[in-house]
Amino acid sequence: MRPPHRLEIRGLTKRFGPVEAVTDATFDVEPGRVTGFLGPNGSGKTTTLRMLLGLVRPDAGTALIGGRAYRDLPDPARTVGAALEAKGLHPARSGRDHLRVYGAFLGCPGARIEEVLALTGLADAAHRRAGGYSTGMRQRLNLATALLGDPPVLVLDEPTNGLDPAGIAWLRRLLRGLAAEGRTVLVASHVLSEAERLVDDVVVMHRGRVLTAGPLAGLTRDGALEDAFLDLTGVPA
Amino acid sequence: MNRPIRAELRRLLSTPLWKWGPAAALLAGGGLTSLCVLIGPENFDPPMPGVDTEAGVRLVLSMIGLTVLVPALFGALAVTSEYRHGTIAYTFLFEPRRHRVLGAKLAAYAIAGAVYGLLVALAAALALYGAAAVRGVEVGIAPGTAAGLLAGLAASMAAYTVIGVGLGALLRNQTATLLVLGAYLYMVEHVLAILPGANLAYPFLPGGATAALTESSLMGAAAAEVTGSATELLPPLLGAAVLLAYALAASAAAVLAPMRRDVA
Repeated sequence: MRPPHRLEIRGLTKRFGPVEAVTDATFDVEPGRVTGFLGPNGSGKTTTLRMLLGLVRPDAGTALIGGRAYRDLPDPARTVGAALEAKGLHPARSGRDHLRVYGAFLGCPGARIEEVLALTGLADAAHRRAGGYSTGMRQRLNLATALLGDPPVLVLDEPTNGLDPAGIAWLRRLLRGLAAEGRTVLVASHVLSEAERLVDDVVVMHRGRVLTAGPLAGLTRDGALEDAFLDLTGVPA
Repeated sequence: MNRPIRAELRRLLSTPLWKWGPAAALLAGGGLTSLCVLIGPENFDPPMPGVDTEAGVRLVLSMIGLTVLVPALFGALAVTSEYRHGTIAYTFLFEPRRHRVLGAKLAAYAIAGAVYGLLVALAAALALYGAAAVRGVEVGIAPGTAAGLLAGLAASMAAYTVIGVGLGALLRNQTATLLVLGAYLYMVEHVLAILPGANLAYPFLPGGATAALTESSLMGAAAAEVTGSATELLPPLLGAAVLLAYALAASAAAVLAPMRRDVA
């Protein structure tokens, strides 16, 4: 694994026509910790992540990974592993072949593909066409794709969607373990109860703006994360 | 071979679609040619020169040019299928220099298109000589000339594959790309071939340039029938150059189109 990388988001702004998707978002994400990127659906989390990953061009601001923009990283997919929402699979391609295609971009040996399949619990289903996968299995395959390059940074968009309770517990252990190795883990989620048990730091986004960013403990001093979140967003419980 | 090209070839071979390629090549090259030879162009309506003449063989082989929709549609899937299934985001994550992704797709699909073209040419050669033998007709063209015509047609299949990749990269929507290709190749171009005035441009359109490779075209013959005057095709080498220019323009479009676009 490469040395730890810090993520620095500064003044990130994006409009889609009349919609202000993200406005002046500024926060840091530290290595060695799991950071929850929290907010309701449509609050601008996914757009922020896509700007961080160079998929969407910001109107203003910067998103740096270890001091560089994603597209300027010398070895991007070995630096950042990203799992976006649970599509991104060709239904007629098997899970193993999906990983082989992306592994070929990295020059991954076959052994690494078997490793990530085993790590994500997909080894038995790897020969099957991805079109027949459940949402949970798609999430696992996306996570396996993200882990291919053994990256020091992980960016996951709603990774618990479609996972059963055992799967969520498994993911929690996996992500905690990855952070303990010094990796930077950023997890976007709209499910506060799950996030509360997983994350060290939180960034709260609402209507395209970052409301607060910092350690979870600071935010939940007076009670549950949900109460703090509702206070922040001004929505009555 | 560089990594993105290797990845794109792997992508191509890891869904069952490519397995239809050889079957399509047999049908387009062998099926069509043997049908035309067995019926005999002299029995077409209006009657055309038979395969015992060079003009007849050129006409029969030029019919293969009518099947270029197959490689064009196949090429169109290179990019449109990525947008349809949402894999494009991952592809651009693994290679954020997007021009390299598109360059790799063009290379992989040009290879696949050339293989398809070779299969078409082989099947057509077997069908031409086989069916002529069945009918007891002498093939009225020198073998070297026939090989040259078939090589040109094989190369045109690769060119149409690349044109498909470029159009798909521009339009991104799978259905729209398939409709545009089908409508253009089977309607618009044919109408342009017979429209007075517009038919002057026909030799410079992809279909006209393809017909120039065999120095013969059923559309040209039909146009002459309708309008009473035949449209001059370009010389074969110039036709090949025009087709190559379309393939290069499509490649440029494919490489440039996704550069600044947001992938949502």
